[in-house]
Amino acid sequence: MAVYLEAFRMVLAPDVVIAIFLSSVYGLVVGSLPGLSATMATALLVPVTFYLSPIAAIATIISASAMAIFSGDIPGALLRIPGTPASAAYTDEAYAMTRKGQAELALGAGVWFSALGGIAGTISLILLAPPLAEIALSFSTFEYFWLALLGLMCATLVARSSPVKAIASMLLGLVITCIGMENPGGIPRFTFGLTDLLGGIEVIPALVGVFAVSEVMRAMVSPEPPPLPDRKYGSIMAGQWRLTKQYWLPMTRGNIIGIIIGVLPGAGADMAAWVSYAMSKRFSKEPEKFGTGHVEGLVEAGASNNASLASGWVPALLFGVPGDTITAIAIGVLYMKGLNPGPTLFTEKASSMYALYIIFIIANIIMIPLGIVMIRIAARVLRAPRSAIMPVIVLCCAVGTFATGNSLFAVVTVAAFGVIGYVMEANGYPVAAMVLGIVMGTMVEQSFVTSLIKSDGSILPFFERPVSSVLAALTIGALAWPVMYWAWRFFQRAPARA
Amino acid sequence: MRLSDRTTGGFLVILGSVTAYAGSLLPPVPGQDVGPNIFPLVCGSLVAVCGLLIALGIGSRLEEEAEADFSAHGGVMESELRQSPLYKLRVLIPPALLIFYVVVVDTLGFVPTAAIIAFVISVVLGARLKLAIPVAVLSPIAVHLVFFNLLRVPLPDGLLPMPW
Repeated sequence: MAVYLEAFRMVLAPDVVIAIFLSSVYGLVVGSLPGLSATMATALLVPVTFYLSPIAAIATIISASAMAIFSGDIPGALLRIPGTPASAAYTDEAYAMTRKGQAELALGAGVWFSALGGIAGTISLILLAPPLAEIALSFSTFEYFWLALLGLMCATLVARSSPVKAIASMLLGLVITCIGMENPGGIPRFTFGLTDLLGGIEVIPALVGVFAVSEVMRAMVSPEPPPLPDRKYGSIMAGQWRLTKQYWLPMTRGNIIGIIIGVLPGAGADMAAWVSYAMSKRFSKEPEKFGTGHVEGLVEAGASNNASLASGWVPALLFGVPGDTITAIAIGVLYMKGLNPGPTLFTEKASSMYALYIIFIIANIIMIPLGIVMIRIAARVLRAPRSAIMPVIVLCCAVGTFATGNSLFAVVTVAAFGVIGYVMEANGYPVAAMVLGIVMGTMVEQSFVTSLIKSDGSILPFFERPVSSVLAALTIGALAWPVMYWAWRFFQRAPARA
Repeated sequence: MRLSDRTTGGFLVILGSVTAYAGSLLPPVPGQDVGPNIFPLVCGSLVAVCGLLIALGIGSRLEEEAEADFSAHGGVMESELRQSPLYKLRVLIPPALLIFYVVVVDTLGFVPTAAIIAFVISVVLGARLKLAIPVAVLSPIAVHLVFFNLLRVPLPDGLLPMPW
């Protein structure tokens, strides 16, 4: 009981309350601006978290990301331009509803089912984490190696591009982590004699470059989105309770799918939304209505993407394996704040964990009032021209990454990764897979080399322990799946051509 | 910046092979067979294999399907196709400005450098001077206020120290 009280005391500290409120507003605004994703919102927050207390730092990340995932629905419904990739799956549907004059219902469903989904995800985090922590206690380097690899493979499986290119991106991320001195031998590796490279490529500049700078680069050659017409809204929450009762089954299914996809290392909110929208269409009693402005898919996918956000923290907290790109950033913050991920977090820092749960619940509850306000003022926020927003983003990229180590080399890294991210994205290489490679490279290498040293260079022990053999089978399955799929398609088409 | 799969795949083959070779030259941990050499060797080789597959066009059919699916949902790439090569070079402006920042910030100071960057980006994105000048004046001061004053990031004063 004392732990719970302590957790409440931590969350109700003035700095934490202010942090939750300000980062919620920030997340709502950034998420609603087309092209600025939730990941980018979180990445730009990291330098700020340096200067906050541990709980306030985590609170900013949790609330900003939750709000950004919801508010991406707003320009999706009103302009047919998703604010974040996680809203892309059902943008057409929401826009069709707006054209039918149901903008209130579409946006209200967005905020209501996002909040419910977020709470469902938090409950899964509360329920899943302790038993998994018990299992995780018995993990050795072999299991960690396979787990990290499985996470990386999942990231490539769900990427919406050629699996070969996704795997190549992921491996590229691993190669990038080879740079520097942080390797088993402690010798400078691939530093080309540059002192700045001895510390390796920092994750934050790479993330900011790939997600923020490359977005500004894209804005340079893409047309400005059309301005949002000012409109009067009726009641936004009216009819949501009726929808909840009518579509409780799709909602629950969306929650569960979101939770599962979130827990899978590497797969995040955008994937959850795509899968759930497709599921909703397949299992719906009225699939013919999909695409014409039918709310059912919105309910399921909206419930799903926010649920995945919370459950993505399960592997992050327990194993240090990110559930998606947002938790990849969060892991960095956890380490920085002395809350090193691992099963012992639940025994040694139990009150911090409970505080984290409470923040998740609070963020999802205040999402409803703040979301309604945001919807009502969206027309004014979205009227801010890109030529006023992008300069600020570039300045924040430069100063924010400079702040991570007070070194100008970080700014060079940001610029370089902006170019890398832009070129990769333009050629169908998913950047999220590379980012996860960069985040997890050190862990993969360490567990791999330590395991090899323990086993005297033999590969066999990687498969001998029961848990590690299961994880190995899953990883190899994830690798073999695209190959089998490809072969199946190839042979299916071969007779047709002959 | 749309390159052929053959080009990007070929680049990955070269990058992977060089990484694997350079990795194999590194010394192992004393008294062990493995060390810092094994990981670049494995990853580099796999990158090269992937590059080869991409260059040969394996898996590209899946990509076409995914892309068709994506552009059906309001993809952003189509507008890029109609532009002249010179216009496309505009994408290099943001990274170039970041490098510019690194080079001059210590002499010019944060606020003047940031003002130049903000002004250029604003104008390139089509802002009139009526908007670009306030952006260039106000955004550096706001960023400076937040990062220097509240977050205590040591930004260089240069030519124009701020009063706080």
